Amino acid sequence: MDYTYPSVFFSYLVFFLFLFVALYFFFRSFRDGYWGAESEDVKYQVFADEESNDGKRAS
Amino acid sequence: MAAERTVNTSATGSTAAVHVDTTAKWFLLSAVTYFFIVGIIAVIIAAKFVWPEMLGTIAPLTYGRLRPLHVNGMLFGWLLAADMGLTYYVVPRLCGVKLWSEKLGVATGILWNVIILGAVVSLLAGWNQGFEYAELPLVLDVLVVVAWLMFGANIFGTIYTRKYQQMYVSTWYMMGTILWTAFVYLTGNFATLLTTGVNQANLNWMYVHNAVGLIFTPVGLALAYYFIPKSANVPLYSHKLSMIGFWSLAFFYVWTGAHHMLHGPISQWLQTIAIAFSLMLLVPVWSVVYNFFATMKGHWPKTRDNVQLKFLMSGVVFYLLTCFQGPMHSLRTVNAIVSKTDWIPGHAHMAVLGAFSFFAIAGTYYVIPRMFNVKIHSEPLANWSYWFLMIGGLGFFVTLWLGGFWQGWQWNNPAIPFIDTVIALKPVWIVRFFSGIFMFTGITLFLYNIMATVVDSGGAKAEVQA
Repeated sequence: MDYTYPSVFFSYLVFFLFLFVALYFFFRSFRDGYWGAESEDVKYQVFADEESNDGKRAS
Repeated sequence: MAAERTVNTSATGSTAAVHVDTTAKWFLLSAVTYFFIVGIIAVIIAAKFVWPEMLGTIAPLTYGRLRPLHVNGMLFGWLLAADMGLTYYVVPRLCGVKLWSEKLGVATGILWNVIILGAVVSLLAGWNQGFEYAELPLVLDVLVVVAWLMFGANIFGTIYTRKYQQMYVSTWYMMGTILWTAFVYLTGNFATLLTTGVNQANLNWMYVHNAVGLIFTPVGLALAYYFIPKSANVPLYSHKLSMIGFWSLAFFYVWTGAHHMLHGPISQWLQTIAIAFSLMLLVPVWSVVYNFFATMKGHWPKTRDNVQLKFLMSGVVFYLLTCFQGPMHSLRTVNAIVSKTDWIPGHAHMAVLGAFSFFAIAGTYYVIPRMFNVKIHSEPLANWSYWFLMIGGLGFFVTLWLGGFWQGWQWNNPAIPFIDTVIALKPVWIVRFFSGIFMFTGITLFLYNIMATVVDSGGAKAEVQA
């Protein structure tokens, strides 16, 4: 049994699957606001924890 | 110059969750301990290059048994465990909620330790599947899958209950790590058993390359995206650019594994695809590195007094270097010289130690004092651990690149007997050994500092109670 062509076709399938998923989420990211005027606000999430809860921890 | 950050409460919301962090503590303290133990194995292996007769012919202490233990111990005992511990710390904070289940997290930590201890016993006993990076016996592979499902459920459960609609780039990378690891690990450890010959070798190299590219790279970058702004106290330069880096990495990385088989018995089209995608990796790499450098613009002096930033920004430079090397030695002409030589461990160590372990060490230095509510035991000791790891690492990487090139030129000359090429490399391996001693000293100081910090926290609690 020669697996060469099935493996080639399978890799084409995976290639287009990855391409489709990447493009789907890329276009969806426009709808979710990752490219809009306020899209940079999300980077302040890094500091959200300490601004309201610095040092507080359950014992 | 990027501005010192200002509070943007509209973007971040108000109150935050109270974090327990038991899981993160378990994972990190285990990981740091394994880093030290496996570091001893690393030094022994490096010594065996110089003194091959050392430790005689006792089977568990031979190179063939110790080398897989070193690789698996460093990858899964230290680095992945540390990355998981830091993920347990970072994700709840970025989502503004508590970890979905601390009990599940602790159970995952216990299972992970069982796996690592099982790996030590089985690999020393010679129970080995014989695949690079996939040496663990099948029963341990199954346990890794179970532990990963538990880890994934906990992290995705936390993200599902998040307070903020939009997700910071670190969260994206951590989600990617969980999904890609499942795909990569199953391929490398199970799919390879169902095929033979060239296809098996191809699958194995796809796994080996993506173990670094789709497991340690995304989680390492997630940590860098979190800890660089935190440690420098400055917001990320551009979140949009970080998204470009994430999606381009998601699309390009999986195709590059076949570049390990260049000039081998695989089809030319597959080799060419691997080369083309390896070159395209420069897109996500540069978008990541530019973002970090732009974030630090005007803030570089902070690295003087901040050991986390030292580790983080050195890691970024090593990441840039290793990701420039990768595409370049994927070219057929360069590959004909460096493939299978000492160049490759030099390159791999710069990625896994120089970049991703540096990110994990920085994260550990950042979170341990905060989780235990105490200052780091010794700042000077932390700085010493950085310099030992940095000098040892540089000695190791540079020596192996030069030695590897030299070795490759010799191998390409059929007039030179193979054994002469081995003897010629001895000076390189002596430098490698002493570089290893430096790195191990850095690891020892790191372990001591972290454990002493934890012990200090116990003393501080006792003082408060008294």
